[in-house]
Amino acid sequence: MAGQGMERREILRYIGIAAVAGTFPGFSKWVFACPGDHPQVTTSQSPSGVYKPLFFSPEHYQMLDHIAEMIIPEDSTPGARQAGVAEFIDFMVANRVPVSTSRDVRSMEDAMEAGNELQNRFIAGLDWINARCHSEFGHAFMECTPPQQTSLMQELAYKAKFKPTTESGRAFFQLMRDYTVVGYYTTKIGLESLGYPGLRTVWPKMPGCSHPDDPEHAHLLARTRTS
Amino acid sequence: MARKVYDAIVVGTGAGGGTAMKILCEAGLQVCAINSGPRTNPATDYRRHRQVYDLKYRGYGDPLRLKGKAHQEPYSVEESEYSEGRDLFEHDVAYSNAPGTDWYWKRCKATGGKANFWGRSSARFGDIDFKAADLDGLGENWPVDYAEIAPWFSKAERYMGVASTIQNRPSNPDGEYLPPIPWRCLDYIIQKGAEQIGVPYLPDRCAQLTVDHNSHLACHYCGNCSRGCDVGSFFSPTWFTIPEAEATNNLVLLTNALVRQVLVDEAGMAKGVAYVDRTTRREVEVYAKVVVLAASCVETSHIMLNSKSRHWPTGIANSSGQIGRNLCDHLYGTSGYGYLPHLLGQPATPDNIADSTVGWMPRWQNLKNAHEEKFIRGYSVYIGGGCGDFPWYYRQIEGFGSAYKRDIKRYYPTPISALIQAPSLPSPTNYVDIDSEKEDIFGIPQLRFHFQWGQNELLMWEHSKQMMIDLFKAMGGEMWGADDEPNRPGTSLHEVGVCRFGNDPKTSVTNKWAQTHDVANLYICDASIFPTSTDKTTTMPIVAFAMRTCNHMLDNFKKGVHERA
Repeated sequence: MAGQGMERREILRYIGIAAVAGTFPGFSKWVFACPGDHPQVTTSQSPSGVYKPLFFSPEHYQMLDHIAEMIIPEDSTPGARQAGVAEFIDFMVANRVPVSTSRDVRSMEDAMEAGNELQNRFIAGLDWINARCHSEFGHAFMECTPPQQTSLMQELAYKAKFKPTTESGRAFFQLMRDYTVVGYYTTKIGLESLGYPGLRTVWPKMPGCSHPDDPEHAHLLARTRTS
Repeated sequence: MARKVYDAIVVGTGAGGGTAMKILCEAGLQVCAINSGPRTNPATDYRRHRQVYDLKYRGYGDPLRLKGKAHQEPYSVEESEYSEGRDLFEHDVAYSNAPGTDWYWKRCKATGGKANFWGRSSARFGDIDFKAADLDGLGENWPVDYAEIAPWFSKAERYMGVASTIQNRPSNPDGEYLPPIPWRCLDYIIQKGAEQIGVPYLPDRCAQLTVDHNSHLACHYCGNCSRGCDVGSFFSPTWFTIPEAEATNNLVLLTNALVRQVLVDEAGMAKGVAYVDRTTRREVEVYAKVVVLAASCVETSHIMLNSKSRHWPTGIANSSGQIGRNLCDHLYGTSGYGYLPHLLGQPATPDNIADSTVGWMPRWQNLKNAHEEKFIRGYSVYIGGGCGDFPWYYRQIEGFGSAYKRDIKRYYPTPISALIQAPSLPSPTNYVDIDSEKEDIFGIPQLRFHFQWGQNELLMWEHSKQMMIDLFKAMGGEMWGADDEPNRPGTSLHEVGVCRFGNDPKTSVTNKWAQTHDVANLYICDASIFPTSTDKTTTMPIVAFAMRTCNHMLDNFKKGVHERA
């Protein structure tokens, strides 16, 4: 056919180049500096290598990091901390990036408003957690024992353990979990833990179903029902 | 200096315009193609195997990136952070919605248009679509029938490369196909469930190259399709029609040229177009013997309505008053989503990383009798799912900690989601016109939408939700939910109808060849000529009808109806 201009081997070479073409090195290698009151946040590498939060206070940042690791802990695969989830949350909230809102954004004013609301929800949520810990356990969240922290999180996470008057805490937990899950499963670590097939970018063919004798997949269903 | 006159001007370089310029250039015509935005460059504008963690905002994009633009609404799905910083989508030209209308007009202005990123579903229309009016008494038939169009569908399929199987269903006619995409576990499970409730679940007609095709490489299943194919393994103007047209040396391609009107001569015939050069903001005129509009449906009608002259006081070729009328769209929405417990804990497979339409439920309603259901005509359903690029089901699982993380992994192969594709019926209250109060930043009067879903398509929506409840039950799936409301009009990108074709010049804009009744040297090569929406998508038919229209135009050149420049 006329005009194609690209030989097969050239194209294959192109695939090879494209596969390593990513230029953004990832959050864990970067810190973000906030230039003045400009709403845009640019990136710059810290000389010391220590992450300096853009938006959250050091105390709040520590809480974020701790709660994120509680939500996605390190076990047989790496956890939230190793995937840089707290840095991700700090960056996204500082830049007013909504990841879970159903709010309609039709203009930049809408985007600013949604972003401000997001920032307020995070601050108010972390303060709520501390206040609750004070009234229940007599300490700020980070000073509570791990069983106390877990018990509070369970009250916010599991319907069966919900208590009255914790609605705002539950809403914050949802928000925090949204950002943690997004932050984790958009890293290479998180995608690898799922086995995301798209990490490999050239497949000779789609394998298709490997259970031709049982199109209903009843044998698999029976197995999940007994397990 | 004598002014340059081309044989043909083609406005738009998407599925229709790209096809038109390829055919006309290959026939030896001197063609000037005019594209509203910049040139698409796969090397900078497509995803090209980048991962979401290569992006600064992990795919969410800078929320304030459209600051200062005339139209600041981000376009979901098509517009992504992978192309951020590139000027591919239209945010400089605003449009209006009449009170009560919420049309979502997502415009890709770069060369190739939306067909850079399209969904690839490519079913043929059948007589059940062309002659729907005969069957149920509503509206008008198309001016063509299946027997007349079938060879053009074949040409389009052979050219594009469409993967599917022979299915022997007259409502969803078979074509000429490449080997189908292999079925995944989830397809077999859905198919068995669908069989129990008497609904077809079949391989879709998917324009994805399962084998090398002409000189195009077979798909390598990277899963980046919707962000542009890095090697051209599915049909797009960028990889197919545009390079082929350029190879003839008969093409001049103008970019960043926003066409404002068709120019007419003393007799009221088309003599060229006037466009605004986006870079200089100056108005420029180009002349040709024939003008082809393929600016993407409603934009074609926008240009025609703005082409007012002594001869055409309400817009060029609008003696019927039909330009802008009969706007139809596909109602989209999630009719049901949930998971297949069969696949819990199964290993991840690369089966659906591109979310291709491997299988679908082609229309099964009102086939034996046009009035079996409470609604007339019918809809189709696509079901996608499996191992995707994000565990979007995470909200369905309660808790936190290692158990939560384990569950996210366990559910990874299981989620599925059903998308309804329901045609809206033509209605006198669904149309576009010119908002005389508002001009865009280039001084062009804005287009205004008047559109609401009608009762018929909303009945289909309710019907599809019930069908999905039945399907989940029959296949042993567990349902998580369904959308309360359908998506906003415009979401599907499948709008049709605003320059409908027909045999009667009093009730249609063009004849059956997509040549305007009023202006013999003005043709249309996009979906605006389709008088009604069907349960099928528009891209492959746009290509087929553009091929047929250009063939007719070339005959007219031979017969002397049109002169060469």
